[in-house]
Amino acid sequence: MDESAQSPAAEAWIAFCHNIPALAGLLILLGIVALTLYGTLFYAGDAYEIVWAPHEKPLTESDFPLGTDYLGRDIVAGLIAGGGPTLAVGLCAALLTMVIGIAFGALAGYYGGWVDIVLMRITEFFQVLPALLFAMVLVTLFSPSLVTIAIAIGVVSWPQTARLTRAEFLKIKELEYVTAARAIGTRDRRIIWKVILPNAAPPLIVSATLTVGVAILFEAGISFLGLGDPNTMSWGLMIGMNREYILDAWWPVTFPGLAIFLTVFSVSLLGDGINDAFNPRLRER
Amino acid sequence: MSRILEIDDLAVDFDTRFGRVRALDGVSVGLEAGETLGLVGESGCGKSITALAVMGLVPTPPGRIGAGSIRFCGEELIKAPKSRLRNLRGAEIAMIFQEPMSSLNPVFTVEDQIVEAIMLHRPIEYDAARREAVALLERVGIPEAAQRARDYPHQLSGGMRQRVMIAMAVSCRPRVLIADEPTTALDVTVQAQIFDLLGEIQHEFGVAIILITHDMGVISEMADRVAVMYAGRIIEEAGADDVLDHPQHPYTRGLIACIPTLEDDASLREIPGVVPPLHALGRGCAFADRCAYMDARCRRERPALAPTGHHANACLAVAEGRL
Repeated sequence: MDESAQSPAAEAWIAFCHNIPALAGLLILLGIVALTLYGTLFYAGDAYEIVWAPHEKPLTESDFPLGTDYLGRDIVAGLIAGGGPTLAVGLCAALLTMVIGIAFGALAGYYGGWVDIVLMRITEFFQVLPALLFAMVLVTLFSPSLVTIAIAIGVVSWPQTARLTRAEFLKIKELEYVTAARAIGTRDRRIIWKVILPNAAPPLIVSATLTVGVAILFEAGISFLGLGDPNTMSWGLMIGMNREYILDAWWPVTFPGLAIFLTVFSVSLLGDGINDAFNPRLRER
Repeated sequence: MSRILEIDDLAVDFDTRFGRVRALDGVSVGLEAGETLGLVGESGCGKSITALAVMGLVPTPPGRIGAGSIRFCGEELIKAPKSRLRNLRGAEIAMIFQEPMSSLNPVFTVEDQIVEAIMLHRPIEYDAARREAVALLERVGIPEAAQRARDYPHQLSGGMRQRVMIAMAVSCRPRVLIADEPTTALDVTVQAQIFDLLGEIQHEFGVAIILITHDMGVISEMADRVAVMYAGRIIEEAGADDVLDHPQHPYTRGLIACIPTLEDDASLREIPGVVPPLHALGRGCAFADRCAYMDARCRRERPALAPTGHHANACLAVAEGRL
């Protein structure tokens, strides 16, 4: 018996702190978030303003360390300004994915029977839609803004979360402490959200983290295809706008690409770390 | 004393891949206020299903109450609305389970879980409920209850967890407590402690207990009355001493003969054969294949539970005086 009481979450956190790659992922991600939030404090520059000659090479002009793009806009300023929307879209899309996915999966898994059948057929309908195409259709139908992009990504990526949640619920609802909860007179609603969901949380948290990474890539993809909101700077938009000139100037495309890579990479490390922390058996390997 | 719980001709069906199977068939048994009724039988004989039926927790589907009635203080539970059953559960009829290891929610402290049980049924402030949870933990013999209350289930031993389950079950002063093999997963020494505790709790709270077990030793310790179940039916019912000293049904005799004694130098005894699968029950007595007193009539007719004085049994051989 331990002396101090430790919640499963606290134990997972301790395990997480011993995981170097996961910590590195967390630090990189925090760094990126800090740069996008507070970058303007020590780097003054307007991402939308034409400030210099087009296609200035990086490290030649001290005012524009990473050079300028095809219009002569500062790339560093673009990276700082574009980070926020990119991360926000990723986060909102992941949030939406989790909300829809968990609601569908939880109800289907818990109630079973015809509820399960109906909800899962709806899920399958969304699952067989080609995700990127469907998102593109949504974005072009409605005006391309960050909100519509986030909604489009959320709408196409929730089925996986729903399936994962359903599987967890099917497993956990058979356990004795769920019957015990019923035996003290707990309502169905409370059993779903307060008894089963907390126990299903670990894989869902991992999935949510990884979904953020996928959503960021999705946003980049949509922006790259020129369907993004041209009035809001984002990393995907920067790549998309500069891609025609890639043979003449590699840097306006490469740096936002690296930023996306670093973000998704750190999110993946983080997700893996959380997964290991919640699964003691994997931890030992 | 008055009958607090009355089960009458209860039948529970399950849909299986062999078709519809009758897991409980014509079970009738009553529970007096404050007494302990032992429900005995091998695995799969319907003990736990009886308990779940009383709680209104038979998994549906595949299960279904086929017939009969369950009355709590005269109130019919079978057709009662879900909300009424929910209000009874925990408040009036509580249950403790076989596996203390898995019947507590691993992500909440034991205090949280007891507080939850209290607040579900009683208009009580959170702080008061917490104080009461600690008091209950003290009552069920958990040392340093105030600290242990903040523990998560995995930090407690099996015996401690079963004590927590008992504390949770009696937190709303129920009138019926169903204990489904409460010590099967525990050490023998801990078993004795848990049964002592159950006895004390029963005395103090005046709760009637349905004790489900396959252990005749436990019955002799705890039960006032015993119902022996076989293949979904009650085949013998009487006072505990009566059943232990003068078992009538051949199956009960077999069960009691199986209790090992220290003087007995023979190896462990058993009842030959296995319980027939429920989907393959014939017309006759379900125990016929394993019974030394079986004759042609036992194959044809299924005996009903026939009272002989205070001692009821369902056996043709007994009725005909063949044994």
